[in-house]
Amino acid sequence: MALAVVSGGLAYFIPAASTAIEATGQVVHVATPSPTDLFTGSPTPTSTPVAAVTGAFTVLLLGSDDDSKFSSDHVLTQSMILVRVIPSQKKVIMLSIPRDLYVPLSTGGQGKIDGAYSYGGPGAAIATVEQDFGVHVDDYIWVGLLGLIKVIDAIGGIDVVTSNPVLDDFYPQDVFSNAPYGYERIAVLPGPQHLDGIHAMQYVRSRHGDLQSDFGRSQRQQQVLLAIRQKAKQLAPEDIPVIASAIGGELKTSISVTRVTEMLPLASSFDNPDSIQQVLLLPPYTHGGAPGGSLIAEWGLILPLVHRYFP
Amino acid sequence: MIQRFFLAAALAVVMVVAGTSTYLYLGGKQSRVAAPPEKPTAATPRAQALVLPGTLYIAQSGAIYRLSAGRFHQLTPEAGWSQPSAFPDGSNLLAVKYNGYYSDVYVLNRYGTPIRQVTSNSSRVGMRDPSSNHWSFYPRLGPDGQTVWMSYDQPKYGYDVVFSIWAMPLNGSIRQGKLWTNSADYTGGDIQPVPVKTGVIYTKYDFGPDNRLVGRLWFSNRAYSAGRALTDPGEDCRSPAMSPDGTEVAMICTYEKQVSYLTIASWNGSSLGPRHNVVTDQQVAQPTWAPDGSGIAYLAPNLPDGPFQLWWLPKDAYAPPAPSPVPTPTPTPGGPHNSPLPSASASAVPTPAPVKPIEVTTNLGFDATSPMAWMS
Repeated sequence: MALAVVSGGLAYFIPAASTAIEATGQVVHVATPSPTDLFTGSPTPTSTPVAAVTGAFTVLLLGSDDDSKFSSDHVLTQSMILVRVIPSQKKVIMLSIPRDLYVPLSTGGQGKIDGAYSYGGPGAAIATVEQDFGVHVDDYIWVGLLGLIKVIDAIGGIDVVTSNPVLDDFYPQDVFSNAPYGYERIAVLPGPQHLDGIHAMQYVRSRHGDLQSDFGRSQRQQQVLLAIRQKAKQLAPEDIPVIASAIGGELKTSISVTRVTEMLPLASSFDNPDSIQQVLLLPPYTHGGAPGGSLIAEWGLILPLVHRYFP
Repeated sequence: MIQRFFLAAALAVVMVVAGTSTYLYLGGKQSRVAAPPEKPTAATPRAQALVLPGTLYIAQSGAIYRLSAGRFHQLTPEAGWSQPSAFPDGSNLLAVKYNGYYSDVYVLNRYGTPIRQVTSNSSRVGMRDPSSNHWSFYPRLGPDGQTVWMSYDQPKYGYDVVFSIWAMPLNGSIRQGKLWTNSADYTGGDIQPVPVKTGVIYTKYDFGPDNRLVGRLWFSNRAYSAGRALTDPGEDCRSPAMSPDGTEVAMICTYEKQVSYLTIASWNGSSLGPRHNVVTDQQVAQPTWAPDGSGIAYLAPNLPDGPFQLWWLPKDAYAPPAPSPVPTPTPTPGGPHNSPLPSASASAVPTPAPVKPIEVTTNLGFDATSPMAWMS
């Protein structure tokens, strides 16, 4: 009888376990950062040590165009958000790194920071962020376009107060289309609303109609991330199989299943919206003028700011 | 031997039943956060909900529904319909039909049948050049019953696609229309026109002093004039709705955060009075005044991060009746009141219980970006 009950439970959770094993605990090879003259005291490279959940930790969130324009694992990271969680203070700091920032890459040479992942996977993305910003990254989470859509749909949508009308006549037609280099029109209307995956994706991805371009988009990405966190607080363990099967291979992380389980109660303990600090590297921290329309980093301003929040 | 066979078979059945039951039990323990909302016609408002006065028109999943006498009726198919607004004389509705690459304004009768297409925003080249199409949203008929006010994405320049407020003849074309506002570039533009006797109130999106995009209520009484701000950038307000007597404006103010307050202010024809936040603990959207002035309907989730439901805020919640005067006892020499009279503040005036919003629906999923229309 007990065996039958256990078998029923296993049958229920096996899809989640299978997906979890595939998606989590990804081994990251962080390249030794080459010394740069941007700052002194470059961090010691590590292979993502596991910190206790009671202690502060830093996660690099990576969001990619993983559509048919790109081959697998050679994608650009359109969104890079450094998140520091301080459980003892119930505090979260989110720093959006502009994808067009022109930086020394850990794989050699210089380029836009969004290319680091395409040259060397998550290890290169982490190493680039560590060497350029002088921070230590404990773990990473990567999600593709379809992954974000599926996550949001799997949790039943999210409530967001969209800041303004987001109109784009040149929105990439690359997710559900056979013409990945084509364009479509989108109109996300403003105000409080319940967003499904596709509309949330349109809201966080569009940038043509925003004077602040990538910075405006970063603000919207942080809004949606916080809404996903808010919704995740309502999930039960029994929801995990449905969500896991929906996400499929659209999410990868170096965080182990055990650690994910340990972190779940942590998510619900951050109830005060004021405990979440959002940081953008707007001018004067960055400004235009770098090759290929990319952004120049004012490291003299950026590093003190970053080190204040990411010691 | 036969007994053993039956025992084994019975055991196998018990194991299958126990395993299946466990599987189903775990499935039943899901949080239901992803459960799709019901159709309004499949669920009536809760029994405790009072029957709202008149007829309310509301959108869900691309269909427009009518709520009257406590029951929903589906007026259009789920085909991109939203944003109903009533003709001033209550004869018909204006509504928007969304088609992926463009949207158009239509006149519908009160039963949802399209009578006429007002705009023609699809381009001949269609998907080959998506930018040649146009959007029309938030249509309203002016007090004259002949002028359609709407948000329309013209002019636009390359990537700079913004809404502007336009006014066009109900029986004419956009070529006869008039550009009414000068939208700020790369902001989303000007939306939600509410024509009033003295001009038009609308929401203008622009960058505030902190370089963040904010909404402000704006007023203009002349086409393409600079107009005048009615609210401050820090209030971050939108979705104006004029009261039936034209003396108050309800709006949504979000203070540049992921909050949403239902705010009311008096209106004197050119400016707003002090703000009065009447709902501050919900994600409020689309405030709509009852035509008889008895309250305000709005949309808000009933669960954190849930789909939007219909709520009703009775007038007593934001304009409580003045307390009835307490009769002052007259002292009679030698009578029972020879002791000091109680002060007015110490009088035992019962404090009325605060009037709370009433949740009209519980498991639907209304379109929170679509204004509602309410006819008497």
